[in-house]
Amino acid sequence: MKALIIDDERLARKELINLLEEHNSIEIIGEAVNVDEAYDMINRLSPDLLFLDIQMPGKTGFQLLEMLDSTPNVIFTTAYDEYAIKAFDVNALDYLLKPIQPERLADSLGKLSNIEDKKGEPDSLSKLGLQDQVFVKDGDKCWFVSLSNVRLFESDGNYIKVYFDNFKPMIHKSLNALDEKLDHRSFFRASRKHIVNLNWVEGIEPWFNGGLMVKLKGGDKVEVSRRQAAKFKEKMSL
Amino acid sequence: MNKNKFYWSLQILGWSFYAIINIIVANIVLGNQGTVAIWYFPLITEAVFFLLATHFFRFISKRLKWIYLSIGLLSIRVVLSSIIIGSSIYLLRIGVSFVLDLYGSESLSLANILGNTFPNTLVVFIWSLFYFIFQYFDRYNKSLKHEAELHQMELNNLKSQLNPHFIFNSLNSIRALVDENPIKSKTAITQLSNILRNSLTTDQNKVARFEDEIKIVKDYLSLETIRYEERLQTEVVIHPKSYDYYIPPLMLQTLVENGIKHGISKLKGGGSLSIHTTIDNDQLKIQIRNTGKLTSQNIDGINVRGLGISNTKKRLKLIFNNKAHFRIINETPNTVLTEIILPKV
Repeated sequence: MKALIIDDERLARKELINLLEEHNSIEIIGEAVNVDEAYDMINRLSPDLLFLDIQMPGKTGFQLLEMLDSTPNVIFTTAYDEYAIKAFDVNALDYLLKPIQPERLADSLGKLSNIEDKKGEPDSLSKLGLQDQVFVKDGDKCWFVSLSNVRLFESDGNYIKVYFDNFKPMIHKSLNALDEKLDHRSFFRASRKHIVNLNWVEGIEPWFNGGLMVKLKGGDKVEVSRRQAAKFKEKMSL
Repeated sequence: MNKNKFYWSLQILGWSFYAIINIIVANIVLGNQGTVAIWYFPLITEAVFFLLATHFFRFISKRLKWIYLSIGLLSIRVVLSSIIIGSSIYLLRIGVSFVLDLYGSESLSLANILGNTFPNTLVVFIWSLFYFIFQYFDRYNKSLKHEAELHQMELNNLKSQLNPHFIFNSLNSIRALVDENPIKSKTAITQLSNILRNSLTTDQNKVARFEDEIKIVKDYLSLETIRYEERLQTEVVIHPKSYDYYIPPLMLQTLVENGIKHGISKLKGGGSLSIHTTIDNDQLKIQIRNTGKLTSQNIDGINVRGLGISNTKKRLKLIFNNKAHFRIINETPNTVLTEIILPKV
């Protein structure tokens, strides 16, 4: 796994590199000292794993994740940020407290390789598919959401509502920009306002003006505009 | 229910009960004589006397703060008061009987006086027993609560003094330093111990020698330099006469910590922190300058931390009255100046 270390303190990075020497599965492809540097390196090197400090000068680790279209696996490394860590759903997050215990590091990496095995080979396309995860922050709450769990994206002004589980937090992005990045084998632009996850489609009914009404698992209903209806039928009949 | 309401409910219920019992007893004793009814009024009056007398007793005991006396002194007072109240009530009863024409000359016989005063005294005594036992428990509860609050405050104070973010980051740097520079890492461990020991043993209510405080601050800066490396430049210039002064413990360290945490640690390129002391008019002036910018947001942040600006001001006022001064300002667009002026103790 290609890993990127992001921490503003040289000694902290060095300590982590020392600890990672024992783990042959991890290949460190770079070190970044702040969020902007990390952002460039992630786009250039596309790492599979980030070791991410939360408190850094300039922008915080959370802000970095919000900047990314999709996030690789993330292990937070922090000395003491009880508040920041509490913002997360416990299971969704892995973090290591500095000074890092070698056993805890081994545990985290073990969990990670399990997840990676299940995922299988990533698509060669550089599009966002079902295996990718996005970081969503809404107010004080944070999630890592796998795109396979997202049933619907709905545009709302300058924001997009992301529908998953019982939540629909907002992210600050445009639906057009998102549509361009999503893998169209799984995601379909139903109308100006909606992108649906095709795996969540439960039923289709004819609607006014030659449009369609799509029922999603979980009960949400989305209208497919007439312009898109033909495309949609074609896609679903395959 | 508030305590006053509780007291009055008990008083009224208790003495009503007392009157009812007396009426029942009178009915049993005098039932066959057919003259019971004329005794109702004096018996009820007596209960009212008891209520007023015990209330007066409570008023006096509160005034004189009897609850704070030792058990022995309190007992003597309670017994004497009971006798006085008990006999007064019997005298009042004779008065009432006289007015109602129920008076018999045998009422003033010694046997009758003693025979009636004694039960009255006993009643008042039992009342006092209930009253003071309740007061004792109440006071005990209050002191427990108070103690718990004090402990919580001390704990919070300690937590903010220890600054876990700093401690764990330092330990992490030291861990990496062990391979790279064993000698430096040994020094760092000693410095961290000094800081921890100082935080744990300092009594915040006293003052500390300037010399001791500046030593701790130097240790602190040295550890932060290990963490931030070239991103933190420090300078400490001390006027030799400064060592004659006393300052509130941990205050200097807290202000320096704030300068680093809210100033330098937020800057990608880092910055510098300097401490200068001068003596002016027999007053010690400590100036801390750090790279950064004071915004209303990070002022709030410092306040929330507890050991922040408002706390510093409060402590200075407490120790030096209005003779000490404190200010924190943007000296230049990218320098924050924190200044304390202290008199000699």
